[in-house]
Formats: sequence, C-alpha cells, structure tokens
Amino acid sequence: MTAVAVDGLRKNYGSHEVLHGIDFTVAQGEIFALLGPNGAGKTTALEILEGFRHRDGGRVEVLGLDPGSASDARELREQVGLVLQDIAVEPYLTVRETLARNAGYYRVPRDVDAVAELVGLHDKRTAKVKDLSGGQKRRLDLALGVVGNPRLLFLDEPTTGFDPSARHTAWQVVRDLRDSGTTIVLTTHYMDEVQALADSVAVLADGRLVESGTPATLGGRDGARARISFVLPPGTTTAELPLPVREATAHASAADRLVTAEVSEPTAALHTLTAWAVHRGAELGRLTVERPSLEEAYLDLTRSFEEEPSQRAPRTRGRRKIRSRS
Amino acid sequence: MLHQIRYEQLSFWRNPQAVLFTFLLPVLFVTIFGAVFGGDEKQDFYFGLSSMEYYTPTIAAISVLGACYGQLAIVLSTRRQTGMLKRLRATPLPAWVYFVGLLAHCVLVSVVDVLLVLGVGSLYGVAPPAHWAALVPTLVLGAASFCALGAGVASLVKSAESAPALVQFIQFPLVFVSGTFFPVHADVLNTIAGLLPVKPFNEAMLAAFADSGGFLWKELGILAAWGVLGTLLAVSRFRWDPKPE
Repeated sequence: MTAVAVDGLRKNYGSHEVLHGIDFTVAQGEIFALLGPNGAGKTTALEILEGFRHRDGGRVEVLGLDPGSASDARELREQVGLVLQDIAVEPYLTVRETLARNAGYYRVPRDVDAVAELVGLHDKRTAKVKDLSGGQKRRLDLALGVVGNPRLLFLDEPTTGFDPSARHTAWQVVRDLRDSGTTIVLTTHYMDEVQALADSVAVLADGRLVESGTPATLGGRDGARARISFVLPPGTTTAELPLPVREATAHASAADRLVTAEVSEPTAALHTLTAWAVHRGAELGRLTVERPSLEEAYLDLTRSFEEEPSQRAPRTRGRRKIRSRS
Repeated sequence: MLHQIRYEQLSFWRNPQAVLFTFLLPVLFVTIFGAVFGGDEKQDFYFGLSSMEYYTPTIAAISVLGACYGQLAIVLSTRRQTGMLKRLRATPLPAWVYFVGLLAHCVLVSVVDVLLVLGVGSLYGVAPPAHWAALVPTLVLGAASFCALGAGVASLVKSAESAPALVQFIQFPLVFVSGTFFPVHADVLNTIAGLLPVKPFNEAMLAAFADSGGFLWKELGILAAWGVLGTLLAVSRFRWDPKPE
C-alpha cells in the first residue's frame, strides 16, 4: 500500500522553478525521511503534500486523496497530522485543555490522557502551556499532531534543539507511532536521526530528487569499500603490513601513526591483519572496521549542488522577492 | 461549535492582560468623561441630552468597536504570525466554525463592556436604555459588522507588527468625525460620517437609549452593508499561512 505518491511534481515561485519534477513514494506504515540542504525544496514539497501550497505540475496523492483539491481537503485534514518547526500554542490553556480542544476537531480522536502519556507530559497535564519548558512545548506540539489519530504524520525537523536524551525519547515515540500503523514523513538535518528512524529516504538538492533508497544503501554505501583503521604498532612500518598493497591505501599520520586501509573484502583482510598482529605479539590500538557513514554518503550526494553558488543564489533571491511582495 | 466557543472563552479569560485592557479601558473612559463633562442639564450642544446621556451610549459604542474591530484584527494577525492559524487550518475544524467562535466571543465581550459602561453611566444619573428591544439587536449587528471589518483589516495586513498601526489609522479619524468624543455640528461632515461605519452605530445606540428613539433602520442598514463588505474582503483575501506564496 502506498501512503504518498508524488509523480513529476513541479512548483514555481513567480518565474523561478523551485521543484523541477520530483518523484517519490512513501509506503504505508514506514518512516520516510526527506533530506536535502536548506533551500533544496523540502519544505515546499511538504507544504504541497499538506495542502498549504498549490502545485504547478505533476500528480500528488496522499492517502488516495489530492491535497490540491478543495473537496478532498477536509477528509485529508481528518487523516493527516502535522508538527511544524515553530511552536504555536495558546499560552494560557493547560496541556490537557489544549489537547482536548484539538481532539474535539476530529471525528475519532485519541484519548487525551493517553496522548499526554505517549509524549511524556502526563505529569504536566494541569500545567499552563506558558509554564512549560521549550522541550515540553515541542512535545505538546507532537501530541497535537497525533491527537486526531492520523494515518499519516508529517514531522518537520522534529528534534532540532533537543538535548540527546530528549531526542532518544522522541525517536522512541516516533517508532511507537510507526509500530501502531502510522505512516511518518519527516525532514531532518541529522543523519544519526535518519539512521535511527528512517525505513526509507529521499534526497532533494536544488529542487531535484538526487537519490532515494534506504539509509543502508544511500549513495551506494553498501557496496562501497570498507575501511580498516588502527594505530600502527610501535617499531613497524607501513611496508611491513600484510594487507595487499593493491588493495590498501594507507596513510600514517605523524601524530598517532593511525593507519587506514580501504579494502573490498574486509573479512579476509581483517583475518590476515589480526593473524599478523597476534603472531608479532602486537596490539592494534583503536581497531575499527566501517563503511562510509550515512553522513558521508549524504554529503557526497549533495556536494555538487553546494559547490555551485551560481545555481543556488538566484533561487534564494527569487524566493525572498516573492515573499515580500505578497 | 459550542466546543470552539468554550475554548475561545477560556483562552481569553485566562489572559489577565487581555481581560484587564478589554474591560478597564471603557470603564476608565466613561468615568473620566463623567468627571469632566458631568452635569444633569439638557444642552443643545448634546442635541437636547445631558452630557452623560450622550456619552454613555457613544462610549458603549466605542467599547464594542474596540472589542470587535480592533481586538479581532490584532488577534487574527498575531495568531497568523505565530503559525497558530496555519496549524488550525491543518485540522478538520471548518473555517466558518472558527470564525463563528470568534464572533460569539466578541459579542459576549461587547455585552459585558456595554453593561459596564451602563453601570458607570447610571452612577452619573443616566437612565437605563429606554428601548432594550432595540439595544440588543443593534449591539449584535454592530458587533458582527465590526468583527467582519476586523477580519477584513486582518486580511489586508502582512504582519502582526503592522496590524495595530493600520487598526488605529482607520479607527482614530473615524471616531473623531463620528461624534464619539464630542458631538459634531457640521452638516457636510455628518453626511460623510453617516455613510461610514462608526457614526451609524453611535446614532443607533443613542436611539436605543433615548425615550423618543427605537430602531434606526437606515443606520442599521449602513452598518450591515459595512459588515457585508468586511466579510467579502475577509472571504476573498484572508490568509492562514504566515508566509504566503
């Protein structure tokens, strides 16, 4: 089942095209992360899916409905929840009242106290919103996003500004929602968040989709060569290493003599290396084997767009102009 | 619907600043006017009324103007700026229910304001309104029309910062030419002001208080026409999103 289908989506601000025909699909019940540098068009794409902006071309289907159609809008709002970046809640209502107010807008809302429990605001139910901390307000915002028991939830940078423990709590809430059947579409700049949460990802850059896949395969990093790193044992030189020369590109840094070798068959290479070390009675300090990180894969994918300021500048200016005019 | 009205009320009554300014200002106005101009004698300057028989209805009228037109324009543009309206738009709550909730709130505040002004007026010896049956519909129509104009103005401003300025820019001259703070005896001015929204409301309020008065159909008609204009403006131009395309 497909929760979101986007096909050839185009969007102009004035004469400037900010989405040049993007395609992606989100399967029902998965966590989908939309990535990309600032200004890549993520927010615009999301706002089109949420029904806040009209598209200039292409096909968009959200839960089988068209967010660009006024007749579908009401039903869509019933089934979609969203959490935006800015917090906007009445300061003088209590947490419980705020949730109860919004719950009343939906046909089949979740239980208000259960939602407070879900986001960890159970103890704060009778506290006024203005007395909550920043993080608690964000959690209230998340609660408001799910109080209508949505089938699809949009999260726009859900953990920006969270401390590490709050982030892990928030991730667990998102996973629990996914496990209860909610499809989640999120944007984020944190690759560890993508790694921890996302079932699939799409990367936007300069209004185009540059790649889609899973966090494990992004940028072909599953097929990339593994890197073995360790501190060169005292009294040895890189020439003595048992790693085949044609497979290894070794750099010994002067300070700590850390060596990195890129290999295509890490199991065999590691076996040879450790046998060599054990035989010599040497310890390989800080020994690691790793694939290119998600962050590296992401940066590689978006680098070409970051490095061409001539492409980026007109778009940014164009957008500002449109905003100030209307 | 009742749900929305209830929470709109809660949001308001919990906010000490909003409550204080909404109710204190009209009371302060009528008290000061009574202290400055008070006197029982009927005067031609006040069209044959005593000063407070004139000012009690006009200050009741301006309290309605402030509670509906000014407050609503500022509240709506602030809520838009903070993203509250955008978020509301993402819920299934129909727009008209939201606006009816706001209207009901403004009418309620207006009723409290008018009663407070009447109360202070009675301390200065002003008789209660002679035509309650005319006062209530006049009040509701005035509140509704000014709410519509408030929503209309909120549709015109871009940011919450510019809302109070535009609100005052429109309201200030209107109040002065409409005889709210002093009777106007210039025929040309009265004719012009009579076609604008504030003076007809003042006149209708005065008529509801005076023995010889009652319903002023023409004035109420003009007021309703402004209400329709404000509604059309709001319906065609209102934005929920702080960052429009």
